[in-house]
Order: sequence, then structure tokens, then C-alpha cells
Amino acid sequence: MRVGVFKFSSCDGCQLAFFELEEELLTLSEVLSIDYFLEASSSNRWGKFDLVFVEGSVSTPEEEERIRRIRENSKFLVAIGACAVSGGIQSARNFQDFPELYSSVYSQRYDVNPHSKPISDFVRVDLEIRGCPINRESLREVVVALLHGRTPQLPSYPLCLECKRRGNPCVVVAYGLLCLGPVTVAGCGALCPSYKRGCYGCYGPVEKPDLQALLEGYRRLGLSEETLRELLQVSFNGYNKSIREWL
Amino acid sequence: MKVRIDALTRVEGEGSLEVFLRNGRPESLRLSIYEPPRFIEGILRGKPYYVIPDITARICGICPVAYQMSGVQAVEDAFGVKIPEDVEKVRRLMYFGEWIQSHALHVFFLHLPDFFRVPSVLELSKVDRELVLAGMEIKRAGSLIIQTLGGRTSHPVSVVPGGFSHLPESLTSLKEVLEKALDKAMWATERLAELHFPELELSNVLFVSLLEEDYPILKGNIHLEGERISPRDFKDFFVEFEVPYSTAKHAMTKDGKVYVVGPLSRFNNAFERLSTLAREMATKVGLEPPVRNPYRSLLVRMIELVHSLERAVHMVREYRRPEVTRVKVVPKSSEGYGVSEAPRGILWHHYAFDEEGRILSADIVPPTSQNQRVMELVLWEFIRRQDSPTEELLRDQAEPIIRSFDPCISCATHFLRVNLKYA
Repeated sequence: MRVGVFKFSSCDGCQLAFFELEEELLTLSEVLSIDYFLEASSSNRWGKFDLVFVEGSVSTPEEEERIRRIRENSKFLVAIGACAVSGGIQSARNFQDFPELYSSVYSQRYDVNPHSKPISDFVRVDLEIRGCPINRESLREVVVALLHGRTPQLPSYPLCLECKRRGNPCVVVAYGLLCLGPVTVAGCGALCPSYKRGCYGCYGPVEKPDLQALLEGYRRLGLSEETLRELLQVSFNGYNKSIREWL
Repeated sequence: MKVRIDALTRVEGEGSLEVFLRNGRPESLRLSIYEPPRFIEGILRGKPYYVIPDITARICGICPVAYQMSGVQAVEDAFGVKIPEDVEKVRRLMYFGEWIQSHALHVFFLHLPDFFRVPSVLELSKVDRELVLAGMEIKRAGSLIIQTLGGRTSHPVSVVPGGFSHLPESLTSLKEVLEKALDKAMWATERLAELHFPELELSNVLFVSLLEEDYPILKGNIHLEGERISPRDFKDFFVEFEVPYSTAKHAMTKDGKVYVVGPLSRFNNAFERLSTLAREMATKVGLEPPVRNPYRSLLVRMIELVHSLERAVHMVREYRRPEVTRVKVVPKSSEGYGVSEAPRGILWHHYAFDEEGRILSADIVPPTSQNQRVMELVLWEFIRRQDSPTEELLRDQAEPIIRSFDPCISCATHFLRVNLKYA
């Protein structure tokens, strides 16, 4: 199986999940042929890929062109992490006045798109691994499942379920904190509530997040619509297709 | 005519190297960073102060803790918050975790393959599996510290202005892992000392680092040619400027001198402050300040690994959860500065806030943009001696020089020039 790992606009944090596999990475490399992975190797071969992982968002004309070229040459494309899935932290600019933002940057020399967008805005994506960053467990699950020809099992349920399973007290009830848990997909192990803070949504929204209901519920805590919007915009997933319209 | 490497490999982020030739002879070169700008400083404007650790962590997946530490210290500086000593100690421990995982990643996964003339850590593991496994074990120990204190290795969630949102009751589970990693790090340092380090010297370059009581990591004044500069005065002594071929800024001292930040500078400026074992190990492998050969920064990183692990073992043994993990932060209209030693060198933050604590302006100077100038300089030293440089030469010999600086390109390319507007 020929594998490629590609980077677009991002912090490189999701590619690190490959290194986090450690010994398992050595074992995997015996059954997979990792042909393209700039951060890991100086010997890279471009060609046809059976499986590609894409980190980062599309935020320049060059990246638009490159993602299309990668898609044309790949059988199965996996978007990894909040940038690739939703546009990432850099998509917070999508909700701001971009010309103003850009005019305070250097002298218009760089071709940058006004919006930072998810991969799926440009090409077909076969699978998404959530998280900012993704974790090695979900990466392992995807690689192993695809190697065995089965469908990877990734959570699609809300974080609250995971949080209950972990035995955490609900941070909304116990401490009056705002928490995006009810509309965020599970997978991180309910980290933030376990560290006594509200979930800030870095795994992105569940399939059909009911933001209106969340807002109504939180109004009792004195939350304004504006605060919820702001929270979602810095959730690293604010430009996810299922919430960007609401914002 | 030019020769060119389109994409640097085994570095964090995207960059390229071009050498321009006249009659076959090198005339000039460009290390260009073409990673798209992400406008982080612009995105921060208007947001509340408490998003700083979460947002700035996303500048870099390899050194998020550094961003969090410089960031929260800037907030605390602005709002006059004093952090309890025991909480600050935990911050140090977490930061050691990042040094350990980042240095191990760089040394073993990214840089070491050069010394064995193999393209990757995967190939290296076929040549010397024991060494690679040791590297993985060391890296895992660092990751485990960050994960235990902050939930996960990259972009941990517990660091907040004022301290930690929550801390574990006990860290005894870390003790054995760290002790073993320390043994491995000492063993690996001796092994790596046997490598061949080509001759190369940083000349006319200033070594700039923080200075504090211990070997510098969390805070302190900036050490520049014997002067101690407070974080507040950073911009009076250093300038950042654009170059036409890079999306990351370059930096120099105000009077036009080239400087370098990172392990070499820390080692050269604060050798006596290293842990006992680290100092002994340095002597054993023949390292003494000043180290001017960038290739040898591999060994200096190993010494810093020994130092971090020794300190971390001690801290874990002594750990008692602080009674107050988080002190109250009350925003006011003000400005704050925070600086710390990221694995790659000093990382400076400056923010201005309104009376509600919303960010009016943000300015972040990462280590890699400070090191770009010196990287080009030393590359030029090497290239100008070559008769007719080929792409192969750039790949095999110039790229390892770039890697020796452990560039963190995503870090360097986050910026937005801001005009400071104060309330």
C-alpha cells in the first residue's frame, strides 16, 4: 500500500501523531510503503497513492491547486485534524474583515486567500479524523482498519457521553462553566472537563449540532448569543460546514 | 542560473533553499520560507485574554507549551498577577516535558539520519535499532510529563493565566519512566559523541539567551553581550524586518549584529547552571563553552536532555499538588510582556489589553525568525567555498546545516505586523 502524508496550512501537530506511534510506526513501515512524508524523510516519491493523509487547511491559490492534484492521484484520502476538516484556527480570519487584516500585514506580496477552508470544500474526502490535534489512537485505528479492509470505527456521538463514562461531574452543573461538550464530537477522552474546564470544541461539531438549543440552555447561565459565536469561532472548527452558516 | 531545493525535509514546516550562480560560482543564496501566513496575531485582536494559551499553542504542534508559557506570563505581567512558587515549579516541570519531547524528536527523528546518511528514522532503525528505540523512549518520557499535567502532548488544556485549571494528585507514575529515560539519554549522548561532526563555525555571531538562577527555561532577562535586558525592552535592542523572499521575518540586533538563539546560546551563556549530571556528561564528551559549530548542537541538545530529565526526576519525587493551583486574574487596561526559552530559543510575547481584558494588539517573536539570518550566514560560509554546487550537494550537505538549527517554520510564519493602538 503506497502512502503519502501531506501538509497544508497548519502547525504540523497532526503529523506528529505518526511519530507518536513510535515502535508501531516501525512495524507499520514494514507493511506500508510511506512514499511521501516531507517531515519524516528526505527521500520522497510522488506518484499514485493508495492512501493519503492531509494535514492543514487550504488557504492559498497554490494549495487549492495542490490539493486537487493530490486527490487525482489518490485512491483514499483522509483529512486529519481541525485544519483539514474545518479550516483550523486560521479560519478565525474568515469571520473578520480580511482586507483590513491583510493590509496590516506585509505589502500584499503573498497570494493568500481571504478564507482558510476545509479540504472538503475543494475535493472529495473519504474520511475525517477529528481533533486539534488528532490523537495517535484514532490514527492507529484508521491505518489498521484500512489495512484490513474494514471500516474504521471513530466516535460520532457527543463528548458528553465520553465525559459521563469517565465519571466527571458535569462542569456546567458543578462549576457553572460554558462547555461545548453537547455539540462536540467525542474522541479526546473528555480532556477539558477532566481538567476542570469547559470543552472548547477542538474536535469539531457532531453531525447535526443543535446550536439554537445549546444557546437556549445556556441562556440560563447568562450566556449571550455573541459569546457563543465567539466561542465557536475560536474552537478551531468554526468554519466547519455544519456550523459556519449559523455563525 | 540557480540550483534549488524546492522543499526542505525533516524540518517543521515548509521552506526552500536557492543558490544563485554566476559562471558556475555561487553568488548569493536564499533560504526562503513559503509556509502560508496564518495571521495568528490578527486573529487574537479583539478576543478575550484567556484564549491566549489555547490560540497561540496552535502556532506550533511541536512546541505548544512554550507558547502557552510565554503567553500566560505576558497576561500575568499585564494584570499584575503573582504566581505561587509551587505552581511556577509545575510550569517548569511541564516545560521540561516539552524540551525533552521536542529535543528527542529533533535529534533522533529529524537530524540523526543525516549523520548516518540515511533518509529517515525508519531507515535509521534498520541500521541502529537500539539507538532509535532509545530516542523513542526519551521522547515518550517527555510526552508523558506534558500529558499527565496537561491532558495531551500537543496543545495541552490545563495551562491558564494564573496557573493551572487542574493538576493531578500525584506524579509517582512518572518516576520510573523518567529515570529510565535519563539512563538512556546518558547512554545515547556517549554514543552520539562518536559521530563525525564536520568543521563549521559561527563567527561574528552573538549568542543570545535568557538568564535566570537555574539554567534558563521559564523566564528571566535577556542576555546580550553581557547586558541584561528586561523583556519589556526587547524591541529597543532587537529589530525584526521583512525580506522579500520569505513569509517569516528576519531579526538582528538594533546595531546590526547577527545573533543566534537556542541550545548553543543557552549552553554558552549558562553552562555552570546545568545539572550536575549534564555538566559531567558535557565534560566527558568534550563539550565546553563556547561551542560554535552548529553541527555540535546535536550534542548540546543531548546535554540539555540529560539536564531536563535530571531536573524532572527530582521535581517528580518532590511533587505535592499545590494547594492553590490557580490564582485569580483580574483584567485591566494595560500591557504585558512574556518571554521564555522554547526548545529552539527565546520566544517573546507582547500584548496590550483594554479594561475588560480584550486584546488590542499582539506581537509574537518566535525563535526561528530570529535564527533565519544566522542560518543564511552560515549556509553562505559553506556554499561560497563550493566550486559548482549541485542540487545533490545542497540536499546532502547544506540541508543538514539548516536542520542543525532545528527550524520551526510554522512558528516563524504566523505573524501580522501590528500598529500598536492603545486604549
